[in-house]
Amino acid sequence: MNQRQRDHVVGYLFVLPFLISLGTFFLYAAVRTLIFSFTDYNLFNTPAFIGLSNYVAMLRDSMFTLALSNTLAFSLIVTVSQTILALLLAVMVNGVIKARGFWRTVFYLPSIMSSAAMTLIFLWLFQRQGLMTELVQFVVNARWYIAAFLAIFLAIQLALVFNARRRYDGVSLADPVFATVALGGAIVATYLLRLGALLPVYDEQFLISWLNTQARVLFLPQTLWSVALMNVFTTVPTLMLLFLAGLQSIPVALYEAAELDGAGRVRQFLYVTVPSLTPVTFAVVTLGIIGTLQMFDQVAILGDAAPLQSRITLAFYIYANAFPEGAASRIGMSSAAAILLGVLTLIIVYLQRALGISDKVDR
Amino acid sequence: MTDTTLTTAMPAAALRQRLPPEALRRRQFFALGWTYLVIIGVATVMLGTFLVAFVASLKVDPLERPFRLAFDQVNPLAWVAAADLGRQGAGDPWWGGFAPGGRIVFSATYTAAPGTEIVPPDASVPRRRPGSGVAAALTKYYAIDYALLTETGSADGEMSVTDPATGASEIWPTRTFTYEIAFDPAKAEGGPWIERTPLDLSAPTGQQLVASTLNPTRFERRGRVASWDNITPGALGLVFNNYRRVITETADLQTGNSLFAGWMWNSLLIAVGRVAMTLVVASLAGYALARLKFHGAALIFGLVLFSMTIPAQVTFISNYLIFRDLGLLNTPWAVITVLVVGSHVLLMKQFFETFPKEIEEAAMVDGASRLGILTRIVLPNAMPAVIVNAIMAFQAAWNDFFWPLVLITSPPSALTVQVGLLSLRRSYGGAQGDWGLVLAGAFVSIIPVLVLFILFQRYIVSNQVSEGVK
Repeated sequence: MNQRQRDHVVGYLFVLPFLISLGTFFLYAAVRTLIFSFTDYNLFNTPAFIGLSNYVAMLRDSMFTLALSNTLAFSLIVTVSQTILALLLAVMVNGVIKARGFWRTVFYLPSIMSSAAMTLIFLWLFQRQGLMTELVQFVVNARWYIAAFLAIFLAIQLALVFNARRRYDGVSLADPVFATVALGGAIVATYLLRLGALLPVYDEQFLISWLNTQARVLFLPQTLWSVALMNVFTTVPTLMLLFLAGLQSIPVALYEAAELDGAGRVRQFLYVTVPSLTPVTFAVVTLGIIGTLQMFDQVAILGDAAPLQSRITLAFYIYANAFPEGAASRIGMSSAAAILLGVLTLIIVYLQRALGISDKVDR
Repeated sequence: MTDTTLTTAMPAAALRQRLPPEALRRRQFFALGWTYLVIIGVATVMLGTFLVAFVASLKVDPLERPFRLAFDQVNPLAWVAAADLGRQGAGDPWWGGFAPGGRIVFSATYTAAPGTEIVPPDASVPRRRPGSGVAAALTKYYAIDYALLTETGSADGEMSVTDPATGASEIWPTRTFTYEIAFDPAKAEGGPWIERTPLDLSAPTGQQLVASTLNPTRFERRGRVASWDNITPGALGLVFNNYRRVITETADLQTGNSLFAGWMWNSLLIAVGRVAMTLVVASLAGYALARLKFHGAALIFGLVLFSMTIPAQVTFISNYLIFRDLGLLNTPWAVITVLVVGSHVLLMKQFFETFPKEIEEAAMVDGASRLGILTRIVLPNAMPAVIVNAIMAFQAAWNDFFWPLVLITSPPSALTVQVGLLSLRRSYGGAQGDWGLVLAGAFVSIIPVLVLFILFQRYIVSNQVSEGVK
């Protein structure tokens, strides 16, 4: 045997352990799930072929349609908002902090926590009489002062900016010097208002059911909005780091060229920053979609802290059909839903990839 | 100056000019300040949430309203008092307790409106079960069976009280009662160490407790009864009471062993097992994909990417059945072997591709085998990649929730810590729940990953960041 042939054999031997694992726990498992989806099976009987009945029953199951719409809405909301927020934050702090160093460590921290520990902390935060409620209560009770603060800030800022614009060109609405003056003025004025007790402070006490409720806001149960908030909260800092690394690899010459062509800050952002970040955005969106479509841990840990229809997602629907509490397993239904989730994930990821690539070619 | 003189002479439309250079510099400087304000704001909201949750996890009742940031557990004076009481109770200033030879001096000061006589409160060591659930059933020794409580004296004094309505100051009499709680010498021989020494002081209405050696845990019956869960906590026992409770109160009813400690141990075992397996499998496969040309390599690569997209929910039924048929359900082995290590293979492959070929070729000329090259030359030089892989595998295994939930369901002592947290939430995390215990459990469960992160953060973070960009 020569070296090439030897490498051939050794190559197969080296990948063998991995292939066994991949073959058994992934390929074989996925194929079996596909087969189970056409059978009636409860983990203990012999699977009997029943054709497409599981899919039909699943599509008629109101819980399934709820789980599907919840999953899609949740995925859309979380992916979009975390991507935009992370991008905006990265652009804001770019130039001040590096993608490495102290801040990197700080912003990376939330992503090392387990979803179970994270969910428990948020459950505590979102208790009816919890800290989140107290925060909302504070804002509601101090609403006049908060409104006054914002109004004074805006008034000073606008007055200063328009005054300066009479004499100078290129004074931005968000001029940092004026904003600092406006901030100081607003703080002092609000403090004086409070000293004079000129505005009412309310003393309303209330309880808010963040999680244990059947309420729906727009197209998603309120419970899942709370979970979405938590997801965004924990992922944005880390995603911001990804964008920051991407931003810092954009050549400065591109911005200089754009500026020479007369592009302002907003147009530079839209026509230089956003296209240059396409690969990073692609990674962030893909990670977001895969992560949110299979959101399970948070829902399972919520458990009886929230009604099932307010928290159910596709991944949880699949699990709950396979291991229902106090009932026989419905492996067929579970498998059918699992196949659907798998196909859905593939379609969305590849669709996004196709769009992402054509987007790049256009420019 | 010349600018301004010019502007006054010209018509209004032509007056507008660019900001002078020093104004632009000032704007840059202030913009920097605002940016820092944003960063610090984001970091505060983010880390502050964890910090506040951690502070709350020390509280007797993390759900108390309004939310206080000053309480005994974060008050150094209370730490000193608790250490002192712990030393008196069991000679242990850290974790306290009540043991043979213990002799605790405890005082409480009451006040009442002038003219009202301050009577000695009714003092008792109650038979209070610690916490809830299983722990109460497993408690064998109660302080009440071993404690001798005596009032050793009282002293009169006075204090200035300000009427909140009128603002007028008044002198009220006070009386300080001193108690001695001693471990019964008759039962001292072979007597047990008892974790808690509860105390109740019950005084008539109108008589207020204003000071005591240690602040009471709570007031009962409209403030008439001041109640201490433990007057011998020791400093750490006071601050980390919930953390001690999460270990001691989640006991197995049969064996009496701590469930939580068992869950941590199971998780550790599984995580270490997964790290070992991942390193072996991923190094071999990664090396083969990077260096050895064989048919089907591209297909395998495609499969790996594919497997990373498909959620675990698609494969878990079959995998559950495989381990059921092998009789490995509810054992760590199931969770150790079940995951496909695709992402780690990719990581190793990427690293091996950057490794200089010439070194390997030189070794090959010397007659070394591929396995020899991998284990003796490539891997020892691949320590950063190996460390990153090991840490990521550990973190993923430790934080994993889904697979342990499916593959390990009973007995309670076999769970991993993440699934254990779910059972903790079920038992204690209701609306009126024992959230101190739940939060303490959550924070304890983070410790191993946090320690690894702090030790090796330069490897982890840079890798994650570069991974995402690719």
